[in-house]
Amino acid sequence: MAETLRLALVLAGKDIRAELRSRTALLSAVVFAALVLVVFNFARDPTALGPEEIAPSALWVTFALASMLALNRAFHMEREHGAIDGLLLAPVPREALFLGKFLANLVFVGIVEAVALPLGILFFNLPLGAVLPGVPIVAILATIGFVSVGTIFSAMAVRTRFAELLLPVLLLPFMVPPLIGAVEATTRLLAQRPLNEVIGWLRLLALYDVVFVILCTLTFPAVVDE
Amino acid sequence: MPTEPPPTGGYMVAAYIVAAVIYLGYTISLWKRAAAARHPRRNGNA
Amino acid sequence: MTVASAGERLVRRGLIIAVIGLVLLAGIYVLALADTPTELHQGLAQKIFYLHVPAAWTALLVFSIVGIVSAVYLWLQDERLDRFAAASAEVGVAFSAVMLTTGPIWAKPIWGTWWTWDARLTLTLFLFFLFVGYLSLRAALNDPAERARFSAVVAILGLLLVPFIHLSVYLFRTLHPRPVVLKPSKPSLPPEMLRTVLLSFGVCLVLYIGFVTARYGLSLLREAREASEVAGAD
Repeated sequence: MAETLRLALVLAGKDIRAELRSRTALLSAVVFAALVLVVFNFARDPTALGPEEIAPSALWVTFALASMLALNRAFHMEREHGAIDGLLLAPVPREALFLGKFLANLVFVGIVEAVALPLGILFFNLPLGAVLPGVPIVAILATIGFVSVGTIFSAMAVRTRFAELLLPVLLLPFMVPPLIGAVEATTRLLAQRPLNEVIGWLRLLALYDVVFVILCTLTFPAVVDE
Repeated sequence: MPTEPPPTGGYMVAAYIVAAVIYLGYTISLWKRAAAARHPRRNGNA
Repeated sequence: MTVASAGERLVRRGLIIAVIGLVLLAGIYVLALADTPTELHQGLAQKIFYLHVPAAWTALLVFSIVGIVSAVYLWLQDERLDRFAAASAEVGVAFSAVMLTTGPIWAKPIWGTWWTWDARLTLTLFLFFLFVGYLSLRAALNDPAERARFSAVVAILGLLLVPFIHLSVYLFRTLHPRPVVLKPSKPSLPPEMLRTVLLSFGVCLVLYIGFVTARYGLSLLREAREASEVAGAD
């Protein structure tokens, strides 16, 4: 177990370093996120909807779309360099492979969110006291949900010709529960509602994460092994 | 308390037709696809 | 027995069962229209219930079957299980289509709107998306073993997603009550209505068995033809 985790961290580190070196995907995801946030600002009637009303949806649509961009990139890199075959030949437990990819994707998407959130605060004029520390916590929980299922689906999609189309088609239903939980929790946090209203949604997010991280770790070997 | 039900018959007819079309259509699709899979293609093998 | 003749036999049997199902469906139509009372508040549109609800139950059942059969496939690696799951998924799309078309047609006169994001409707919509995703993935993969394994994983994940979607949408809706013009009667159902809807569900099961048998046979026919093409047909 500990060995698996250690291997996962090593693999994750390798991926993260590789992506940070090339930076292209990271930059495009960040720019994309910024653009989406800007569009949301212009797409609302300022007299009808206050910024704090549209901010949760805007933030979460942005995070969801950026996650999908990031996930698409992750396995493409592997396929281009044929790296995964080497990994599969080595005596690496498949669970470690999954967790490593999962952690790397998490960091990657996390970086995009870490840039998009301040932009969101800026564009929507959100009170910092309401945003912190709740919204980053919600973001971490929901992102774990997106990325766990997204990692395994991108591993599958990358074996097809229509990876960019197939990944959203497969992933979107799985993004709905974390998305609902995240938007509901964020809305309440921004409205500075009492904590007990948020806790229920956090529990949903956490339960989803536990179930799907375990499930994806268990089914990943079926995806990479012959 | 209404004495007569509202006139929603049109919707019922529409739904009943749509359902029938889907079920019938799927049956026919299965039959046609089986026929196509049975016989070799007209223009021969590549 | 060759694969082709086995496929042939299954297609024939399946289509016969399906046609019987269609005839029985016509019987349900007659039953619903002639022998079942008309609901006072909804009028004739309420009779859509006898088509919509059984289709929805069947779609949900089929979806569960695909998930469970897929899990067993990953365990036993029997390709027949994969073929059965794929056939069921396609049939599930047909039932989902009936469900998703008759639903809004029923909702419009009763609720005043074609669609509402309540827990059940949303779940049925996502069931449809999951089926479509499963079939799209299969269509995009050529290697049969890979296709079987990958779609099995999607099916299992999808099956476990269903309770989460239900839960999250339910929580979402209960905290955002929506204006309802009229609620379709659920709790106390007159015996004739219960009888008709249960019989209709039985007919849907007959249709499912017929469809899935024929679809399974179709897979066999296609596999046989592909094999003969590869070998060079004589």
